[in-house]
Amino acid sequence: MAARRPSEVVIFTYQVGFGDCFLLRFVYASMARHVLIDFGTMGLPKTAESGRMLRIANDIADKCGGKLDIVVATHRHADHISGFATKNGAASGDIIAALAKDAVVLQPWTEAPDLAVDAEGPLPDDHQGFAARRASLASMQGFAAELVAALAAKPPRGLSKAALDQLAFIGRDNIANLSAVENLMAMGKQRIYAYHGLAVDLRKVLPGIKLRVLGPPTLKQTETIRKQRAKDADEFWQLAPQRLAAEAALGTGSDELFPGHPFARATRLPMEARWFARRVEAAAGDQKLSLVRVLDKAMNNTSLILLFEARGKKLLFPGDAQIENWAFALAQPDIRALLAGVDLYKVGHHGSRNATPKTLWNGFANRGGQAKKGRMTALLSTMPGKHGNADEGVRSEVPRTTLLKALADDTHLHSTHTLAPDTLFEEVRIKLA
Amino acid sequence: MATSRGSKGQTETAPAAVRVPHTRRLTIIAKDPGVRLEGGAMLFARIEIPAEDLAPGPTGYRVKVVDFDATAGRLYKPLQHYQAPDGTLVDPFRADDGEDVGALAASHQARLLADPNFHAQNTYAIVMRILARFEFALGRRIEWGFNGHQLNVAPHAFLDANAFYSNEDSGLMFGYFKGKSGAMVFTALSHDIVAHETTHALLDGLRDRFTEPSSPDQAAFHEAFADIVALLSVFALPEVVAAILGAPPRGKDDGGKIRGIEPDKLTLAALQSSILAGIAAQLGLELDGLRGNALRQSVLLEPDAGLLASEEFAEPHRRGEVLVAAMMRTALTLWRSRIETLGTLEFEGKGGQYNLDRVIEEGAKVADHLLTMAIRAVDYCPPTDIDFGVYLAAFLTADAELMPDDNRFRYRETLRATFASYGITTPGGGRCADDGSWRGFDAALPVNYARSHFESMLRDKDEVFRFIWDNRRVLGIGTRATIKVGAVRPSIRQSPDGFFVRETVCTYVQIANIFGSEVKSVLGVDRPEELETTRSITAFGGGTIIFDQYGRIKYHIAHPLNDGERQKKRLASLGEIDGGETAFDRRNRFALLHAARASD
Repeated sequence: MAARRPSEVVIFTYQVGFGDCFLLRFVYASMARHVLIDFGTMGLPKTAESGRMLRIANDIADKCGGKLDIVVATHRHADHISGFATKNGAASGDIIAALAKDAVVLQPWTEAPDLAVDAEGPLPDDHQGFAARRASLASMQGFAAELVAALAAKPPRGLSKAALDQLAFIGRDNIANLSAVENLMAMGKQRIYAYHGLAVDLRKVLPGIKLRVLGPPTLKQTETIRKQRAKDADEFWQLAPQRLAAEAALGTGSDELFPGHPFARATRLPMEARWFARRVEAAAGDQKLSLVRVLDKAMNNTSLILLFEARGKKLLFPGDAQIENWAFALAQPDIRALLAGVDLYKVGHHGSRNATPKTLWNGFANRGGQAKKGRMTALLSTMPGKHGNADEGVRSEVPRTTLLKALADDTHLHSTHTLAPDTLFEEVRIKLA
Repeated sequence: MATSRGSKGQTETAPAAVRVPHTRRLTIIAKDPGVRLEGGAMLFARIEIPAEDLAPGPTGYRVKVVDFDATAGRLYKPLQHYQAPDGTLVDPFRADDGEDVGALAASHQARLLADPNFHAQNTYAIVMRILARFEFALGRRIEWGFNGHQLNVAPHAFLDANAFYSNEDSGLMFGYFKGKSGAMVFTALSHDIVAHETTHALLDGLRDRFTEPSSPDQAAFHEAFADIVALLSVFALPEVVAAILGAPPRGKDDGGKIRGIEPDKLTLAALQSSILAGIAAQLGLELDGLRGNALRQSVLLEPDAGLLASEEFAEPHRRGEVLVAAMMRTALTLWRSRIETLGTLEFEGKGGQYNLDRVIEEGAKVADHLLTMAIRAVDYCPPTDIDFGVYLAAFLTADAELMPDDNRFRYRETLRATFASYGITTPGGGRCADDGSWRGFDAALPVNYARSHFESMLRDKDEVFRFIWDNRRVLGIGTRATIKVGAVRPSIRQSPDGFFVRETVCTYVQIANIFGSEVKSVLGVDRPEELETTRSITAFGGGTIIFDQYGRIKYHIAHPLNDGERQKKRLASLGEIDGGETAFDRRNRFALLHAARASD
């Protein structure tokens, strides 16, 4: 029987800069099974070679012996799936697709193609809601693409360089990566579009391992809390492209709010209007940043939250799930109890301030100082200076300084941002036997 | 005649000293461009606001309109004159035929909508009206929430379905956006949105700690209060009440004829649905759920004492709807009972009819009265950690102070019963009298007045601080937290007996920077498990002291630092993550159609 249970799990955390890429190897007596969780980047370390993603794909091929058993794409942000992009059969995504010919591909329910909904999709009782949510996510990505283009063409006044960079960064991360999405859509032998509580039976693929899907919740699961708001949000995003077009027309003067009414240009304002006009410009910039953050968050909240259990050890991979995604799972006492025993935690959303809920963190029983018995391990894939802002009073830098300190104090922390730039991966072994 | 050169060489002329009116009337859109009369005409009103000699903008002594549009990168120039050369005050957008209210000729309407200067006037006039309402209700000048005298207003700030008050920017910004129909929607033309944002700026001035992270109620209160003031302000206009009852505006020549209305149009349900139709209006239709939804809820939400405990109403916006609903339901109930007293008459051969114009008048009167009391109640609120029950007690106290006799229409009784039906009750623990108002200060307590000076106590923060410090034991105020006197505000109001009620309203806060480990000893509550002993938190206490006309304490409405129950609630809601607020959050705190609403 022992042969049917893994004796060890090895986790390779690839250095992808700002992004995620984890290869899990479950070691059995006479075989090994490989799970790839995410493969993307939104900014490699400065000194990394240009072919880094290809090099990683080849390294994955080596490590898994030519065969991936499970591929997980937690959500469709570029920093999680850009490596799945294909090009003439020679890109990193082509290599992964070849490795994953017989794999099970796991994605969140929001990625389910329409057909799957009609057949055995996640929400047989809420087609409309599902379609609206999909359309809304698609609109967000469309909006992001147009926004990035607009920013490049004409940067808005009233935003600092840092804010503009951030706007562009988050914008780019949210642009749909079509070839990666299509690759994932066709990848593997079986595709599962998962949601909170979905019973995923992977005993044949991963003997002796239980996989629980803790998030994302479906619309139905959260409807008591957010039914109306979800509807509002969908509508809002469907109107978003119009908004950008109108903005562009007004900005260039090809459309006017009040044709014929005399005006002063922003650069030639009378004395009494200058101070407040600058504030209005700054606020307008903020509004834009806020929209982009909202869509970034919405996309993060489609993240799969996966908990692997093998011989009493628990490995938690929450993608970029933020508090709104987590809330549904954390509201349930039995799930909180389950999470208390986590042995390995993939730090959510590259260490941002709002992806490691306090309830989750405080609930971890295995965190503690160096001397703590059975002290938990934390994996953090991140790169400072990309996302968020550490200015005084802003406190949105990623990774968040206070969280980083807590992780370093209370866990065996492995972080990619402390690796030498040419190091390809960090290896962590967890004995299960 | 004195003249001065404005920028761009415009000449400002000082008014001749012939007659100094205290108020003036300006034309506004009564509710918003979506409220139409039969026949499709838009509803306008001329509202009365404080008179002043306006500079271009319009720019006055409390409001400065800067019509800068960040999206277009343009400042729309102000071209209107608000004073005639002889000093007479001018309403530049008044209808040509001099009609004061109701429908304007279609061409005139179109001209107004297409003129940014009218939009500017609309915001200026509504902001001034709300400010005047606050000053009237509180019997004194009211400061904005920021350091400065003039509130900046951008009527066309940017293309965005958003409008907000920003303390950091000392102003209000109103966005505009393309609606579903493709037509531009201007938030600056919506009376309730302008009133709502102005209220944020005023409440922030009266109680600046209400924006601190605290209980779910406090998070909801700013929104709810702004909605209450906005809605009551809109319905205090007889033009709006008439429109929602389907009554055409009275013409000049209708001879003051009595008009009738069927009783079945005046049932609670019928009034509800009329109001609903009235407030659905433009924004609600254009961008469903952003603004219209919250207002709809305030009328639709049926009484249920369990609402506030449910998860659905833990979210601040939803939670606020409960308070607004309780107030709107109170208003409707009072309107109903005032209609009852009107009696019925025979009209055009049909008996049992009500006098329509009297019904309208009663409706506007109820809204006006509740509006005054809703604002006045703020003076009787503690400066920190507001919750709905505390606000109710403050409301009842404010009303009882001015109208000791509640027998005629039973306002307070109705208010209390209606709020209770939504699960809002006054605080326990002996803090309130039997009628729900705050218990007065115990005159037998040995307060030491000997070391402070009456005159200084009316306006001097340091004098009041000394008084508080001298009497800290009697007042139950500890010495370890930092104590700050926030405001000393003398106020004078006229009571129904014709005499003046003179009070001085003082607030103080206690600020304690403590660690998780000190929670028990300082706040009197067990440390919640999720609060680390080493986490640094800021806790607040504080109180409002009302001095009577003799300078003696009339009320001490306190939230002591060591009030375990209150602190427990606050700690529980301090948030999952950092609890830290970003600069970005600060600007967006009052975003009306907050972007959060665009997320899941």
